Amino acid sequence: MGLARTLAVRAATLVVLLFIVLFVISFALAGPASKILKDEIMMETKSIIMNLMLHGHYNSTQIQQLQTQIMTELESAYGLNKPPAIRTLYIMYNMIVFNWGYSYFPSEYGNVGGGKVVDIILSALPGTILLDTFGILLSAFIGIEIGLRSALKYGSKSDRAVMYYAALANGIPQWWLGIVMLLIFSFYLAQMHSPISFPTGGIISPKYYELWLTDPVKVFTIPQAVLDLLWHFTLPLITVLIINIGSWAYFARTVVLNISQEDFVTFAKIKGLPENHVVNRYILRPAAPSILTSIFITIPFIIFGGFLVTEMVFHWWGLGYVYNIAIVGSPTPDLPVVVALTYASTLLYIVIIFIMEIVYIMLDPRLRE
Amino acid sequence: MSMAKKQREFRILGMTPSEITKEFFSSSTGKISAALFIILVVVSMYALIVLPPNFASVWNNPKYWQLNPQYAPPAWINSLIGPVYSPQVYVHDYTYAVQQQNGVTYITVTFNVNYEYDKPWSEIFIVINNPAIYSMPQPPVLSVTVYRPDGSKITLGPLPINSRVTTFGVASEVISQVNLFYNEEYHVSSIVPTGSSATPYIFYTINNGKLTPLKGTYKFDFVFYVFSQNSSVINRNNLEIVLQGQTYGLMGTDNEGHDLWLGLLAGFPIDLAVGLLSALIIVVIAVIIGIVAGFYGGLTDESLMRLTDFVILLPAFPLLIVFSVLFGWSIWDAVIFLAIVSWGASARIIRAMIMQIRSAQYIESAVIAGASRMWILRNHILPQIIPYILYLLVTNVPGAILTLASINFLGLAGSEYPTWGMLLYYADEFGALTSGYWWWVIPPGLLVAFVAVVFILTAMASEPVVNPRLRYG
Repeated sequence: MGLARTLAVRAATLVVLLFIVLFVISFALAGPASKILKDEIMMETKSIIMNLMLHGHYNSTQIQQLQTQIMTELESAYGLNKPPAIRTLYIMYNMIVFNWGYSYFPSEYGNVGGGKVVDIILSALPGTILLDTFGILLSAFIGIEIGLRSALKYGSKSDRAVMYYAALANGIPQWWLGIVMLLIFSFYLAQMHSPISFPTGGIISPKYYELWLTDPVKVFTIPQAVLDLLWHFTLPLITVLIINIGSWAYFARTVVLNISQEDFVTFAKIKGLPENHVVNRYILRPAAPSILTSIFITIPFIIFGGFLVTEMVFHWWGLGYVYNIAIVGSPTPDLPVVVALTYASTLLYIVIIFIMEIVYIMLDPRLRE
Repeated sequence: MSMAKKQREFRILGMTPSEITKEFFSSSTGKISAALFIILVVVSMYALIVLPPNFASVWNNPKYWQLNPQYAPPAWINSLIGPVYSPQVYVHDYTYAVQQQNGVTYITVTFNVNYEYDKPWSEIFIVINNPAIYSMPQPPVLSVTVYRPDGSKITLGPLPINSRVTTFGVASEVISQVNLFYNEEYHVSSIVPTGSSATPYIFYTINNGKLTPLKGTYKFDFVFYVFSQNSSVINRNNLEIVLQGQTYGLMGTDNEGHDLWLGLLAGFPIDLAVGLLSALIIVVIAVIIGIVAGFYGGLTDESLMRLTDFVILLPAFPLLIVFSVLFGWSIWDAVIFLAIVSWGASARIIRAMIMQIRSAQYIESAVIAGASRMWILRNHILPQIIPYILYLLVTNVPGAILTLASINFLGLAGSEYPTWGMLLYYADEFGALTSGYWWWVIPPGLLVAFVAVVFILTAMASEPVVNPRLRYG
């Protein structure tokens, strides 16, 4: 019964969190930022009018009428003709029902889904999932292994090396390492006419791009396309691994060091138990839940921190890169995309946190009671 | 005054301050981080001294940088790969002669330059730092004769000198004169591509039908004709002649010709300020929340811990992005926002510490003896958590620096002062990756990493102090 209650409280907290974030964004958009929205509407109207003038024959009064008509229609579509409080609720409602509107600059995203923001974001999810899953799981696996070994040899040369590596890996911005990797393994290798050089970015070659955006599962049925994807995947993955292995190693090392100082470990040693028995039974076992928790809890932070920016550097078709296009790739900030992305990220983020907490509770017997 | 002073040893976490210092410096990380820290502080102070107080407006004034080459690698590149790129040259070593005849003043400026590079100077600038020049009814006129190493001679001009900076090679007279020279000498027509400067072609020759650099000593004769008795409008003090090179300074230049060395230096104080300010706010909030929660307990504790959980869960980075876009935040707004959403973990640590201290026997005795809460806080609790406060201060700096660098890299939350993240943003925008401008992308990222690593190492070295379990070996 206690477990169900804990989970219910947790779920409630997370839903409240989502609502607060949603409210704050919607309020910002409805109140202080509505001027930006108005400017955007003006721009959008102008581009529509330009199109009409290019393709049809209208006189100036007709154009004027059309402009005011489009303006008022757009303003009511964005709810700008309502008071801020109503507008906030209106934006919140649209967010919740996934009515995220249309991008101002659909061509910047390859016209995915005709510029529908939901479709743009959905098309970016597989890329993010691919990079984040492999990046985090592989780095955690390797990093924890390194951390355990280094903790058991506390104070040795290799332990010190691991520590300095961890300090560097924590201090180097992941996306900057990505830039350096691209410079070396893409630009300079190509410039030296090396037979092997990596792509300058992107998730897949242009000929498969269309397919990836519409039906990513189908890409995995074409062997050449899979190889091509892996080729594009190499540099981002290596970048992510170099940085994240260090953090995991340092983290695992600290946990194991803490536990190996516990009285029961000292006692086991005094009892004369064999060394690897002490390590496996008395140190690693109690360390495991603590390490796992941290993995689970940090995953959302890692994804929505460094990974986003790394995707931008590699033009990797994921949430981060879509953010990048919406902020700096477009002539003006593509507000519907930026706002929907933030909401989608928060949603995804709390879903991940909730799943991680369930897994954690299942792993830790003390919490199950 | 014979009363014996009560000897009380000051101890924190069971250690005297000197023991703490000893513990910190006993590890190699402690020594290295202290050394790096000193370097960091010295460089930041140097930056504050070297950079003018109005550096932000200087940096954002394109005119200030117009004499510099754009996208130029550092000058020391030539010592690595041989004399390839011509360096930026400010001509100081010239002979200067004034003659007057029939109301016209002739100023003759002569100098030699030794050209031994593969890529010639891209432009010649004549700078007259005298506003009187702009408003003269008849501006002075410049004519230039270049004596080339192969014995040939190009005569260029006359050009009117009526602005502060005269860009020599883009004047149409100069272009047609250089074209004419190549036509007569080598029978090649229209050597200067449309829209380009003629200056580099002064340093070329045609060899086997191919354009090749003509190395050797060039003699330049500049003659200024000033059509008034007031010959002092141009004089030794206000005349500058600059050969724009293809390399520049210690760290090269960017798309606007900014001296990146200065940009990188400016990053030190601002990055430190950003990191320290945000860490300071985080720790202040964390200490207040932690003390109140841990000390009062009960419902206060419960609700504050709910709040803390909440703040920990906030997706800070996406929110920072969306607010920076919506409100056009500056870097300082971003710092404050980041601090307000980042204190959660630190508050938890402080609270846990206080809970632990609170349950100690001596606190109980103090309460029984009638000590007030404030007295206990001041005398028993605060001294014990000071090292933790310092530790948290150090651990919160790198996160702030890295996040701010990331948001700057997206072109958001900028400042007038150049930051390393902004340098990287412009580098990415202006094709540093596709054109290989390594000097524009490697140093800023290295410096971000350097500052972050200094603080991370300091935190690592202080871990044995704050975590007694790591105090062995």
